[in-house]
Amino acid sequence: MFFTAFIGSYIVLRIGSKGWPTSYDDTHINVWLGGLNTFVLIVSSYFVVIAHEAMAKKQFAKARKFLLITLALACLFLCIKGLEYKGKFDHDIWPGNIAETPGQAISKVDRQLEEVVRNQFAVYTNGGQVDVTQAKDLSTVNVQLSIFSKSDGGDESLREQAASDVILYEKWQNLHQHIVANVSMIDVPNAIGPDYLAARAALAEGDSLPILTFGEVDDFLQDLKADKTYASSVAGIFDPHPVLYGNLFASIYFLMTGFHAIHVLAGMTLFVWVLMQGSKMDEKWTDWVENSGLYWHFVDLVWIFLFPLLYII
Amino acid sequence: MAQDDHSAHHVNYGAVFVALCVCTGLSVLFDLLSFENRMITIVLVLAVAVAKALCVMMFFMHLKFEGNWKFVLLAPTTILAIGLPIALLPDIGIHYYTNLAPQDGTWGAEMDEYNETHHSTSVVSHALDE
Repeated sequence: MFFTAFIGSYIVLRIGSKGWPTSYDDTHINVWLGGLNTFVLIVSSYFVVIAHEAMAKKQFAKARKFLLITLALACLFLCIKGLEYKGKFDHDIWPGNIAETPGQAISKVDRQLEEVVRNQFAVYTNGGQVDVTQAKDLSTVNVQLSIFSKSDGGDESLREQAASDVILYEKWQNLHQHIVANVSMIDVPNAIGPDYLAARAALAEGDSLPILTFGEVDDFLQDLKADKTYASSVAGIFDPHPVLYGNLFASIYFLMTGFHAIHVLAGMTLFVWVLMQGSKMDEKWTDWVENSGLYWHFVDLVWIFLFPLLYII
Repeated sequence: MAQDDHSAHHVNYGAVFVALCVCTGLSVLFDLLSFENRMITIVLVLAVAVAKALCVMMFFMHLKFEGNWKFVLLAPTTILAIGLPIALLPDIGIHYYTNLAPQDGTWGAEMDEYNETHHSTSVVSHALDE
């Protein structure tokens, strides 16, 4: 009933959405891993049913062996699922983290780059090279860091690093100001200051400056990643990739597969419990094996529907 | 159920297992075939899923050998399965109101071009490329 509600809600939400991410670029759904996991669960279902058959025939050692194989397959299922989840996390596919529009994708790059600058600056504020009362105020830290980078003495490599971090801050500020003003980074190199004001003043009545585009921000980030000075610092910034209805997809994917994984864990607990009996396992445990086997088949049944619904359709 | 002696019914579990594996292969194959009409893929893979579910329920779960009481057990989930979509349909499925979700906006020629280059290939063809 639990999964009936989930699957029913998913179908209605899917039909009710004007769009839905289905390409690999958007979802990073690996149909081969999903298919492999289906196979693993089918094999485990087979072994649990012959384990019960062995129990009925009082072949308890055989039953233990089959249950152990079922447990191992359940572990394998979770490992493959973990691999799939990693594929999603590597692309920041998580409910609430996915940019759905170009504007959100641009803002996400801005926020991530700010975080990189903040982390870089923390090295100096924590290390005592820059002493400011408001360490969270990046502009204040930047002024002090600029002074430190031009100072004499001390660690020369650290001063060189500080100089490049100051430039990184300025690059981020440039992007941020273009986002705030919503003007093109190519056509309007400076989004503040006299040049910007002059460009605005030169506009004819009703005209406006070219707006910032998604492609410009993408190019800006790729240039930054290609620059050897900043490549390692900005490597963790995700490429901007708007995915319409991506968060709804991610919510449904993680909710359904996550709850299914919890059910797998519960089934594994049932198998571990009976296997812990070791050679004491006798006919008294036949009902236990049958009922936990039935539960395991339900876990398989749910996955039989989740596989086509989430991985193929 | 536990009291019933299911071992009295001979089931070839190996054959059921092979049938389930073949069905899983068919699901992947239908996706690989990429029918012009996506609805054909949807109907086929769901039909295969129903066939697999029936195999598991009838033979692995021994429902084939149970009495008609098994249908009573299915009643609550059937009611929920039908009732929930019907309850949600007017609001989410049909949208009787004007939908102002930002996702429904138009994002210009630049995004149309981006979507065309990024969203045109299927899940399987990408997986094969990797």
